[in-house]
Amino acid sequence: MLRILAALVLLAFGLAQEITVLTHSSFSLDKALIAQFERETGLKLRFLKGGDAGETLNRAILTRGAPIADVIYGLDNTFLSRALEADILLPYRSPEIRNLKATLLLDPSFRALPVDYGWVSLNYDRAYFKDRPLPKAPQDLARPEYARLLVVQNPATSSPGLAFLMATVARFGEDGYLDFWAALRDGGVRVAKGWSEAYYTHFTLYKGDRPLVVSYTTSPAAEVYYSEGRYQEPPTGNLFPELSFFQVEFVGILKGTKNLEGARRVVDWFLSRPVQENLPTEMWMYPARRDARLPQVFRFAPEPLGSVRLDPGVMAKNRERWIEEWTKVVLQGQSPEAVRRARR
Amino acid sequence: MVRLAGGLLLLFLGFALFYPLFRILLLGVGEGFVQALGNPYYLGRYLFSLQYGLLSALLTLTLALPLAFLFRLRFPLREALLAWSTLPFVLPTPVVALAFLALLGPRGVLGVDLYGTLALLLLAAVFYNLGLALRILLPVALRLQGPLEAARVLGATPFRAFLRVGLPLLLPALGSAGLLVFIYAFSAFGVPLLLGGGRYATLEVEVYTLLAHRLALAEASALMLLQLLTLALAALLYLRLPTYPLPPGGLRPSARPWALTLGLSLLFLLLFAPLLALFLEVDPKALARAWTSEDFTPLPLALGNSLRFALLAFLLALPLGVAYAAAARRRGGLDLLGLFPLMVSPVAVGLGYLLAYPSLRGSLFLLLAAYALLAYPLLARALLPALRSLPESLLQAARVLGATPFRAFFRVELPLLLPALASGSALALSALLGEFGASLVLWRPEWTTLTLAIYERLGRPGGGPYQEALALAALLALLSGLLFYLLDRGRGRIG
Repeated sequence: MLRILAALVLLAFGLAQEITVLTHSSFSLDKALIAQFERETGLKLRFLKGGDAGETLNRAILTRGAPIADVIYGLDNTFLSRALEADILLPYRSPEIRNLKATLLLDPSFRALPVDYGWVSLNYDRAYFKDRPLPKAPQDLARPEYARLLVVQNPATSSPGLAFLMATVARFGEDGYLDFWAALRDGGVRVAKGWSEAYYTHFTLYKGDRPLVVSYTTSPAAEVYYSEGRYQEPPTGNLFPELSFFQVEFVGILKGTKNLEGARRVVDWFLSRPVQENLPTEMWMYPARRDARLPQVFRFAPEPLGSVRLDPGVMAKNRERWIEEWTKVVLQGQSPEAVRRARR
Repeated sequence: MVRLAGGLLLLFLGFALFYPLFRILLLGVGEGFVQALGNPYYLGRYLFSLQYGLLSALLTLTLALPLAFLFRLRFPLREALLAWSTLPFVLPTPVVALAFLALLGPRGVLGVDLYGTLALLLLAAVFYNLGLALRILLPVALRLQGPLEAARVLGATPFRAFLRVGLPLLLPALGSAGLLVFIYAFSAFGVPLLLGGGRYATLEVEVYTLLAHRLALAEASALMLLQLLTLALAALLYLRLPTYPLPPGGLRPSARPWALTLGLSLLFLLLFAPLLALFLEVDPKALARAWTSEDFTPLPLALGNSLRFALLAFLLALPLGVAYAAAARRRGGLDLLGLFPLMVSPVAVGLGYLLAYPSLRGSLFLLLAAYALLAYPLLARALLPALRSLPESLLQAARVLGATPFRAFFRVELPLLLPALASGSALALSALLGEFGASLVLWRPEWTTLTLAIYERLGRPGGGPYQEALALAALLALLSGLLFYLLDRGRGRIG
């Protein structure tokens, strides 16, 4: 009798203690780690994928009245201001904060806590460029012989695409970036909808016809890691640290959670050492924790020097306009002058 | 009784349509309108929507007019072909988009890639609307016999008779078919979203992008307002078109009936080539993968959601549709009210709900209200003509013979209305099964329907997800086709 009662209590407990984590579509962690967390805490984790980083955040904002999750993971520094303004997150001073790299703590109100960071960067196919010259400087990409080798993502629908667009703004300035993109367009750059389409369909490494692709600084290391010994050295490389864009991904507790205690434990877990040491080879980002050891394979993913950063306020203010101007120039074929004239 | 029904309907419309639209109006006019209209980027989207609507209408009419004249003739399989011609109209937009991808996409059967071109978008519009235009033109074309013969007797050449008598008499029908096609194409969502490739987008797609990716509610409202105004203008024109009293006409014998059957069959085969390509390309293994998918919403959940939501919303739409038809039976002025929800785009409805009921965001009730709102006019518009043609004397006879009003309705009126009710239900249910815009805006992950499951898979590159999307689209096509066949068989009134 007692046993049945205990089982029933456990069952009821188990049902009530589900924690839903809203993530972007690239989320992935070791299943064993998740199982271990569930065993130790009695919480059941459910992961909901909400699209790319921007879409995921907007979902959370648009369902504020009846939150679809308790915790959100994966909003990044390009969208941080939107999340904070929409006021969908609860502040939480996790005890793990003191273990995180101080430069990543971009939200002084502790509503969004950094989990990991990385760089969006140009990758090239080493085999293709074995006997051919690589572009020497970012502006070389605009030459037809390189533009027709490049595939980028649409910044309206893809976060690495947006990051790369912002990198070009930072590098070439408000006036120059449109000329750069117009030259890319005339040279025949290809625009994919999202990262995986660009990488797995158009990149020459995966039988596409474009040996230059916008990806991450860690992608060459990932190629070695997944090759099961086929590659000793990365088949791809990074280009132009000055065109790399710095990204930080955050975790936060959504307002309206029915299980604040559980949500806090999940946030602590994201910042704990086992998860932090697992995420480099799962999501190919660098851990936010100072004492997290990097896996061996990350020797192929050095942090780029001199990457560009934009002020979050500037990004928040101009993000939409940049995307519109980009669409006009690259997809609709308008001239940079006309687009600049329309600003006034 | 009728009053009560009308009141309930108004209450529902107030909640589910007018108040949300009012909120869009408020926000749109307040912040974004002037700014959005001054922005050449949005203006470009607006001009494209207009262009797409007009070109689609023109192309569809060019094809439908000669077809309507051919269908005046008697030939074998005429009825079957006519019924088939409206099938595309009940297909969900993601299905049509996938079918065109299967035929003319990057991985298409023909090996010609038209993805992201205006040509593909126009082809899809013609595919969708040809049957609709044909159904509107045919009744008038059939009745032209008398006037045309009269003109010939009076000495006009066949060409002159057509130009001076046939065409003017056809104009209202051409106008109403053209306007309907314009309305549908101008506010199209699924097809340009899935086939436009970023370069071509209607206002409807742009509003969705503004919402989902950029969360710019004010700009979205402004664009929605612009779209509503344009559609209202088109709808007003549509209702203003004259109808000429024409002598009844009939089918004429054909000189070569079998040749006509063969030719028209070939034409329809060409028209349905995208659907054939879709079924040709379906890999049963992909269906099995979709069933147990871990990366995407598994098929059983999506199918269950689609059926569940369609059924629940239908239960709501049925009384609404009947109430509207009953209220509008004797009052023509209510026609606009019935057309209104058809004009308001699903994306706008979703946007309006998000604005008007922030505390209900993410609740199933809002989704069902949107579904019911979009479905009941289809039901009502099928029911209304049947209701209006019921002779009053029948009911009076039943009452005189001693039947209670209740009994008279169930034993006399209802049986006579059943065919119209069935075809209205078929239209409403297939629209519900294929609903895309509102679902996408009001979506919660656990509510993923079949249409959203297709969209979700199309968002990912690679052969696997594409194959799964094809399989799901084929399944959804079968489902709506079956529904249509069981309940309607192409007899019902559409548009």
